[in-house]
Amino acid sequence: MTKVLLIEDDKETAGEITAELADRGFDVEWSSDGLDGLAKARNLRPDAMIVDRLLPGMDGLTVIESLRKDQVRTPVLVLSALGAVDDRVRGLRMGGDDYLTKPFAIVELVARIEALLRRPLETRETILRVGQLELDLIERTARRGDRNIDLLPREFRLLEYMMRRCDQLLTRAMLLEEVWNYKFVPATNLVDVHMGRVRHKVDGPGDTPMIHNVRGAGFILRAVP
Amino acid sequence: MQFVRSNTFHWAAALAGLFAAFVTILFGFIYFKIDSYLIARSDRMITTQVNFFAALPLDRLIAALDDHLGQDSRGVQFAGVFDAKGSRLAGNVAGLPGGLEIGAPVKSVRLSRVDDKEVNVPLVRAVARALDHGNVLVIGRNVDETGEISRVVGGALAFGLLPAFCFWLLAGAWLSVRAQRRVEEVNLRVQRIIAGDLRERLPHGNIDEPFSRLAAIVNGMLDELETTINALAGVGNDIAHDLRTPLTRARLTLERGRTNATSLERLQETTDKAIAGIDQSLSIVTALLRLAEIESSRRSSAFGRVALDEMLREVCDMYEPIAEDKHIALNVDTSGKLYVHGDRDLLLEAVANLVDNAIKFTPENGAVRLDLLRGQGETILRVTDTGPGISDQEHDAVLRRFYRSDKIRNTPGVGLGLNLVSAIVKLHGFRLIIHSGPGGRVEIICPDEQAGRR
Repeated sequence: MTKVLLIEDDKETAGEITAELADRGFDVEWSSDGLDGLAKARNLRPDAMIVDRLLPGMDGLTVIESLRKDQVRTPVLVLSALGAVDDRVRGLRMGGDDYLTKPFAIVELVARIEALLRRPLETRETILRVGQLELDLIERTARRGDRNIDLLPREFRLLEYMMRRCDQLLTRAMLLEEVWNYKFVPATNLVDVHMGRVRHKVDGPGDTPMIHNVRGAGFILRAVP
Repeated sequence: MQFVRSNTFHWAAALAGLFAAFVTILFGFIYFKIDSYLIARSDRMITTQVNFFAALPLDRLIAALDDHLGQDSRGVQFAGVFDAKGSRLAGNVAGLPGGLEIGAPVKSVRLSRVDDKEVNVPLVRAVARALDHGNVLVIGRNVDETGEISRVVGGALAFGLLPAFCFWLLAGAWLSVRAQRRVEEVNLRVQRIIAGDLRERLPHGNIDEPFSRLAAIVNGMLDELETTINALAGVGNDIAHDLRTPLTRARLTLERGRTNATSLERLQETTDKAIAGIDQSLSIVTALLRLAEIESSRRSSAFGRVALDEMLREVCDMYEPIAEDKHIALNVDTSGKLYVHGDRDLLLEAVANLVDNAIKFTPENGAVRLDLLRGQGETILRVTDTGPGISDQEHDAVLRRFYRSDKIRNTPGVGLGLNLVSAIVKLHGFRLIIHSGPGGRVEIICPDEQAGRR
């Protein structure tokens, strides 16, 4: 069972998060202040951590920094009411951890925790395969079964990202950050438009759909069906 | 007697003391000058007299001396003729003084008069000259006048300086009391301002007076503050209004759903609608917080070399499908590689916002262009579109928070986009220029990095 340590001082938020993660099969340990959280992180060795930035005792970023000093590499999702403009947060993202600004949708949190836990498919092979779908990273070509798919470079990038994380919920914000390197959510529904194009090409008429839209959350690429 | 401790009073007292010392030195100097002038004058006179008398034969000399002394009503002249043995032949000098050398220049010596009954023998400028047959002629002049002058001067000093000193102290006291009163008055009004009465102003009359000028400056600042605070209050109202609309919708949806939903699907539908409404309110809050965050941040270590041409192509790539859907031609034109010093993420956000706006407000079959060009010592990033543009009247308003043109009331959006662009541009030290319509044209002017400004 995947163990997640949640360090969050607001009892109700913590309760909601714990309940949701437990529903999804996680084993959640909760700690309400920084010092206690740091001790638990050292003793329990969780697989992932969710850390609020403002905590009594010791602030969230300091907790993470002390863990990293002890060579504890547990992936962390930082929650904060503060935005993500400052440098420490950028450092966090570069170190493979993630940052989520409050208020957030619970599906967004779950999607990000799952993304942190599941390292993307790093394959030596130059061809990615998901079900019938094939992506040649050298030739930059795509095919589904016998059918060639003509992709624009940006569509190719999006599909590659999704294929490396198949069967995983990808939220709009995650796609914006990872595929387009956007650190903000633009006013227009950009992701949906791009996804529409790719989906139109991947799921031809008569095909079983592979790209699924999860209402109010994001998209999943599934090996059929 | 609080004024005695005041700074103004201390200064006044110190100045008065300094003034008194200065005047005393001045008087002393004048006294010294007069004294030496008087001595020089009597020395010249004595020399002339001794030359004149020495040239006369003895009998004429005695007569002339008697005559000379007889005319001296003030009794300042000394004269005497002595024979070789030192006994007096004529004149009023009692005896040949010891310190007086014959033939030496005029010097100060104590001479006593024949008729003098006074005990103290006056100090006199005198000279002795040898005559025929071993006789000696002594001519002298009492210069005690200078002492008299010094007494007069001293008196004048006392009479003049004492009242002046008192006047200085009084003036100092008056000034410090006056200053204190004004400070008290200002304090009273400032307390009222602190208490919340922003319309209160400091009193000021004559503009040439420093205190009044200060008051006028502070009043100017208060005017500015009052305007800003009122504007902020306005923004607060706008926020409240903009938040209330989607929240009201969400509430209505939930209320109706609760009573009317008959199946789980219907209830879920209702909840989804409500969540969308709440999300819209949250996006307003998020946008506001982000704006505040950018406005209060400084140039950080994230600043680096940003290739603007690449960035424009990225943004264009991102928005192409949307433009295509609206049949809008989206084009980029860059003249070679152009770099600026900045924060890539924020600049991307600014440009994306401008393009987002341009596409949103351009009607179907229009065009949006992104140009990157070099000006004089600056790089110009220009976004043009064939939409309605921004009229002169709306020019300032578009940078106001939550301003949404009446023409586009029904287009979705938060109305903070241009604020965000403006804040990002300001953070970089760039300029945002909004040209008036027809047709939208917005420019970000990036001046070249000056040497030393990093």
